[in-house]
Amino acid sequence: MLGTFWKEVRGTLSRVVKHPYFGFVLLGVALLIVRRFAELGMVSPSLYKSISSMMIYSIIALGFSLLLGYAGLASLGTAGFVGLGTYFIGHFSGTLQKPFGITLLVALGGAIVLGAVVGFVSLRIEGMYLAIITLGLSEILKEVFKSFTAFTNGVTGLTFRNFMMFGKPVPDAAVDQAIILVFVLVIIATLNIINSPTGRALLAMKNSDSAAQSMGIGLMKYRLLAFVLATVYAVIAGLLYMADIKFSIPGTWSLDFSLNILAAVVVGGAQSILGILLGVFMIFGLNMTVLQNIPFFRQYPDATWILSGVLIILVTMFYPGGLIRLLQALRLKIILLVRNLRKRWRKYRYGEDD
Amino acid sequence: MFEKLMWVLVSFFVVYFALDLLWFRKRAKRPIYQQRLINILLPIGILAGLGIAIKEMTVYLFLQIFLLNIAELCVLILATTGIVLIFKTSVTTNFAQGTIATVGAFTAAKLVIYLTKNTALTMVPKLALAMVASALTSFLIGLFVDTVIFRRSKYLSSVGKQMITMGLVLVLLGLMPLIFGLLPLTIEQFSYDGKMIQLTEEMILYVPDHNILTAIITVSMLTVLFLALRFTKWGLGVRATASNETVAGMMGVNTRLITALSWGIAGAFGGVAAYLYAPLGTQVTVSFMTSVQVNSFLASVLGGFSSFGGPIVGALLINLFASISSFFNSVWTSVIVYALVLILVMAKPLGLFGKKTAKKV
Repeated sequence: MLGTFWKEVRGTLSRVVKHPYFGFVLLGVALLIVRRFAELGMVSPSLYKSISSMMIYSIIALGFSLLLGYAGLASLGTAGFVGLGTYFIGHFSGTLQKPFGITLLVALGGAIVLGAVVGFVSLRIEGMYLAIITLGLSEILKEVFKSFTAFTNGVTGLTFRNFMMFGKPVPDAAVDQAIILVFVLVIIATLNIINSPTGRALLAMKNSDSAAQSMGIGLMKYRLLAFVLATVYAVIAGLLYMADIKFSIPGTWSLDFSLNILAAVVVGGAQSILGILLGVFMIFGLNMTVLQNIPFFRQYPDATWILSGVLIILVTMFYPGGLIRLLQALRLKIILLVRNLRKRWRKYRYGEDD
Repeated sequence: MFEKLMWVLVSFFVVYFALDLLWFRKRAKRPIYQQRLINILLPIGILAGLGIAIKEMTVYLFLQIFLLNIAELCVLILATTGIVLIFKTSVTTNFAQGTIATVGAFTAAKLVIYLTKNTALTMVPKLALAMVASALTSFLIGLFVDTVIFRRSKYLSSVGKQMITMGLVLVLLGLMPLIFGLLPLTIEQFSYDGKMIQLTEEMILYVPDHNILTAIITVSMLTVLFLALRFTKWGLGVRATASNETVAGMMGVNTRLITALSWGIAGAFGGVAAYLYAPLGTQVTVSFMTSVQVNSFLASVLGGFSSFGGPIVGALLINLFASISSFFNSVWTSVIVYALVLILVMAKPLGLFGKKTAKKV
């Protein structure tokens, strides 16, 4: 009786553990625990701040990977979209003190419209030219951020204080928890998209437009969808960025930011969620957690870009699949090595077969 | 009367353009007459719109603003030519063009400081030396990039190569403060005077000397480049490599040398452009060429990458749009220019002078 019960429990447990969401939910729980530690003073607040920034960058990078890794569309408009998100929440929730629901609606609406426009552009312009045109769009957005002072407070930057949700001001702790929640949800959503027919359609489109079309995949629908998804991710990340860092200035949303996101996606591995998290850590996390404690990098903060740049160049030249491929290859090598060693040990212990 | 005609022409173009985007393109194959129609309507529409704008701001003001902006136009043309040269030989859009040029400008600014401290040279030879130094530095960086990185990544996809140039931007952005210090530097103009041009009794136009010099340098460099492309062995090699690298290599063209030289020359063009752009009211900082870089990309896309002349026309158009819209609204100038370029590129995705290449499936 008890035996069968244990068997069932074990079966359920193994099913839960093997579920694709399990690792990421565990990651979310771990992050919540780390946040609790930060509250208690066991983890320094600056370290936790950089962890939450990393989560926000990961959300942007996940959106971008749907574009680059799956749909094969190189876009440099990311910075503009994220900036737009920060100004949406800064203006509607901060300056106008509207409830958060309205901000969210406006932001999502804006993201969908903008993504659809860029997607429409991407129907006409392909490959290398698309990167340039989206760069132009991003510059337009940056100019708008600079000039449209009623909305963005111009070049001096927009400061964001507290904001209202359900009629109450939102504490910082809630923002931190919301970032973790959205991070895990976005990963799960991405996982679902990747493994759904939509994800396969995007992949087909990446490999060959014409072949995808002849298999009945509408370019218009899926390109628009890819851009809308990337833009929505970016705008959500923008909302979280503003709620977390509380300051946004047009200078942040320049080409460097888009290039860094691109670097994170390319370096980590554009088609794997773990790879993207790894890439975000390599490009942003190393800088924020480790390198900033070295005096040389504190004196020249831009020197950390050298590392990202060299990583991009090396990874694109030698490991087009990203660092995650390198890790997988290493794992395989180690397994082979262990097997080989064991064989040798046996030979030594028991002698060779005749 | 003139204005009414112009408006009619512009509205023709707008109506056709809207129909084209929303309806005609849905069809599987475009008939040839539609292609021809948009080819005719596009220049007419652009010219008519420019005509209306120029009439609105008076010809005198237009000429004056154009003459004041001519240095920026020349810088844009030089940067664009560099980008197109690299596109021809390496089939990638070089995002690092502006950054490589910035390194050149930094070297020039440092050299001027060094020469003022240690020698008794007068202003003009000093600045001329600095310009040569700027070009040379960028030339060497271009050569280095090709021989070390691009020679080894010949078989990557074009988007992959593009990403390498983006990585290069980051590397150079990080290296520059280490080498040249964190402070912005300045480069002087050769002369701060100007010339007066008397057109009629009342119309006197003013041109700064720097603009005249910039125009002379640009035109001579472009002439030399085009003559070299047409008549030298290197030019023949570039054209052969551009049409098909593998076959050119089989026919005995030293494609490695050709590509390396093209990178170097493109870098040198960028270096001169950055040197000439720095005294125009900006300082030499790590990102002072970004706007030129973005504009020259848009100019190349607008003109079409497949020819050398097209991007130059694109640069001219972008500069015209900018100088006209700065008269009407100085705050939103760049937004208006980018939007206009985007609309034009939507109408002709391969550029105004681009040719369609057949694609194998």
